[in-house]
Amino acid sequence: MEIRHCVTCNATLFGPNYIAFPCPNCGEIIYRCKKCRQLGNHYVCSCGFEGP
Amino acid sequence: MKGKLMREDEGYEYLVPPDEYLAAGVHIGTQIKTGDMKRFIYKVRQDGLYILDIRMLDERLKLAGKLLARYEPNKVLAVAARQYGQKPVMMFAKVTGAEYVVGRFIPGTLTNPALKEYKEPEIVIVTDPAIDRQAVIEATEVGIPVVALCDTNNNTANIDFVIPTNNKGRKALALVYWILAREVLRNRGFAEFPYRVEDFEAEL
Repeated sequence: MEIRHCVTCNATLFGPNYIAFPCPNCGEIIYRCKKCRQLGNHYVCSCGFEGP
Repeated sequence: MKGKLMREDEGYEYLVPPDEYLAAGVHIGTQIKTGDMKRFIYKVRQDGLYILDIRMLDERLKLAGKLLARYEPNKVLAVAARQYGQKPVMMFAKVTGAEYVVGRFIPGTLTNPALKEYKEPEIVIVTDPAIDRQAVIEATEVGIPVVALCDTNNNTANIDFVIPTNNKGRKALALVYWILAREVLRNRGFAEFPYRVEDFEAEL
């Protein structure tokens, strides 16, 4: 099974504690952990898109 | 400053003319600024109102259109509890084939399969994360991404994609949802968009 990491804090993701969605710019799947979402932490996609 | 801004904007193509954005008041924020929304703020006015950057709004609307178009039409859920957001959301849902919840968001809509209002979307768009917080909480619980129209006073906790705009004005909400609906359809390959901004405006 592929190991997934949070795009912001690089935490290993498992179970239901993360959210995945395609990057609005390039379509690559972005993974965000629950904690980073709750804190509203910034994330940067490999295409350069900065969110949230 | 204005001259500099004009030069920087040269070559950039807005979705609608910038004057139309200004006429609808999408750039007018509130007198409260949050740290999360700081980067979308252009300046503070003499009367204390924070003004949003319309260039960033335009860029975000383009990206939101691309993002929402990646999902099946009936897997998108638009939510608005705010009165002036209800008509725009209903029109957005009608035009793009999305589902919608206006008015009170019944707790369990996304989490309780026993409810008749139960829905299983794959992405949620909320009009104001402060007012539609039940939708944001439930989307987080079931693990689906949230797109939100955020004003200068909003926090971006549990939001995955922010559209920085005035989310209180009647005309502002109509214009933003009209552009969003048009962009979603464009990205799905439909060239025609036979609606006007007035069709999305809530009645006074």
